[in-house]
Amino acid sequence: MKPNAFEYFAPSTVKEAVGLLEKYEDEAKILAGGQSLVPIMNFRLGRPEVLLDINGIKDLDYIKEEGEALFIGALTRERDLELSPLVKEKCPILAEAVSFIGHVPIRNRGTIGGSLVHADPSSELPTVICCLNGEMKVVGPSGERALAPEEFFLTYLTTSLEPSEILVEVRILTLPKNTAWSFVELTRRSGDFAIVGVATLLFMEDDGVCREARIALGGVAPTPIRAEEAEELLSGQVITEELIKKAGAEAAEATETEPDYHASAEYRKDMARVFVQRGLHEALSRFKGGK
Amino acid sequence: MKLEGKYNYKAPQQVVWDLFNNPRHLEKAIPGCKKLEEREPGKYDAISKIGIAAVKGTYSGKFEVLDPEPPNRYRLIGEGSGTPGFVKGEGIIEFSQDGEGTTVVYTGEVQVGGLIAGVGQRLISGIAKMMIKEFFRKMKKELKSLK
Amino acid sequence: MAERRRIMVKVNGVQYEREVEPRRLLVDFLRDDLELIGTHVGCEHGICGSCTVLFNGRAARSCLMFAVQANGAEVMTVEGLAEDGKLHPIQEAFREHHGLQCGFCTSGMLMASYEFLQDNPDPTEEEVRRSISGVLCRCTGYKQVIDSVMAAAAEMKGR
Repeated sequence: MKPNAFEYFAPSTVKEAVGLLEKYEDEAKILAGGQSLVPIMNFRLGRPEVLLDINGIKDLDYIKEEGEALFIGALTRERDLELSPLVKEKCPILAEAVSFIGHVPIRNRGTIGGSLVHADPSSELPTVICCLNGEMKVVGPSGERALAPEEFFLTYLTTSLEPSEILVEVRILTLPKNTAWSFVELTRRSGDFAIVGVATLLFMEDDGVCREARIALGGVAPTPIRAEEAEELLSGQVITEELIKKAGAEAAEATETEPDYHASAEYRKDMARVFVQRGLHEALSRFKGGK
Repeated sequence: MKLEGKYNYKAPQQVVWDLFNNPRHLEKAIPGCKKLEEREPGKYDAISKIGIAAVKGTYSGKFEVLDPEPPNRYRLIGEGSGTPGFVKGEGIIEFSQDGEGTTVVYTGEVQVGGLIAGVGQRLISGIAKMMIKEFFRKMKKELKSLK
Repeated sequence: MAERRRIMVKVNGVQYEREVEPRRLLVDFLRDDLELIGTHVGCEHGICGSCTVLFNGRAARSCLMFAVQANGAEVMTVEGLAEDGKLHPIQEAFREHHGLQCGFCTSGMLMASYEFLQDNPDPTEEEVRRSISGVLCRCTGYKQVIDSVMAAAAEMKGR
């Protein structure tokens, strides 16, 4: 099918965009990469009356390092994150996670802002940003606010953005030197939505102890989730095979899986267990290999 | 898909039964409900505007309360259709006194069809459950408003 | 109904000026307004890859873009591969190694491979496999497509 007729605006500043959002509120949808929105429109599942094309707001396309953080503009293309030497050096888990998103043509257009606001819990960006405790900067008529992942992601396809607010930037801390990391996911074919996706960060001490563990899972709940019990099990410990097995089991318990065509709820839960273990193995072997 | 759940309400069973049979309160709790009318006793017409992401639709539906055994249980059947698809379901709602409160248990089956079920299949189960949770949570708010 | 917009788009090096409804998809603009029917409409939701074109030098799903977004941009379609009637090495390779049967996915395969070989002039077979995973083919079973891209890489490297 073809999309419905709509009013089209192409604001060139954030201020203009917010003004238009204020005027049209939930009649308007923002067009960034379009990789999630346009399929919905082509199916006529969604028929926004107004489209705000923000691809002209070049100010929102950047990757900057300042102090111990990376600041990423919401309009930054996924492919640019994947190939950025700065991201690969300072936050390699982000570049790795992005490389799993669909296929190159999709990453060429898709943006980090669009993916986060679309808030599909099976998507790679919400999962990895949850692991990184990324901060989302949001701008509206009454000013700007910063949201942590648990404040930002509410449920399936729903964020805490008000109708007249727009995501402008994501801030993530650069990874300290002794960090083991991995991003693993289960899909039937390369490029599919993840049945389960796991982002793992282990902040290691020189003596082999894991100071802090972070494990985020996608595809297993209405939002990306952190496996807090699994994290506590590993933090402050030397990570043994036995602990890895326990962490996998704990993480599976934290999931609220749903069935669909691709996988039953039970299978997803079990795969959460398996892929948390794989994520830990990969993170540790990459870390040891790097030494 | 099969659905089931259990909720506790801090009120005597008769009060909760009456609440769950009162269209004025049901209207406020049903997701996106713009209008709920009791056509005949136990038969309701509803219009709901539901939206998730860009997918917004107006659904018109009918519910019927069958085999009521006040104040313990009733059977509910319903169907609704809108541009993105249709929903059909039936279930049993059971009420029982639990100390000073009432436990409400629901079991049922819902079928979702049409465009949204094909294209949105991956998320349908989770979203349906989320909306039902939302309904029971809003009924708690309605209960508070009685006091 | 929304007003039509005037857009200026450069396609395969040629400047076009047209009026379009905002909801006009880029793929339909190319096919119906510009009569460049080499790009195909398959699934209309970004999965099959048969609509792949280059947008400002980067492969993109033209079924997921609106023509108005191409205002001031440069687009390359499969019609832009051949030069002065001479097939591009990728096209030659597909011809020689039977990289197509019905041809429906072929423009998608060619455009995706064109970008891929620009970024990866000396790929392994595994890398080629991965690079075409965004375009679905019902005919070839993919082996001949991979052979074609590998052959094209070898030929283009030699130049």
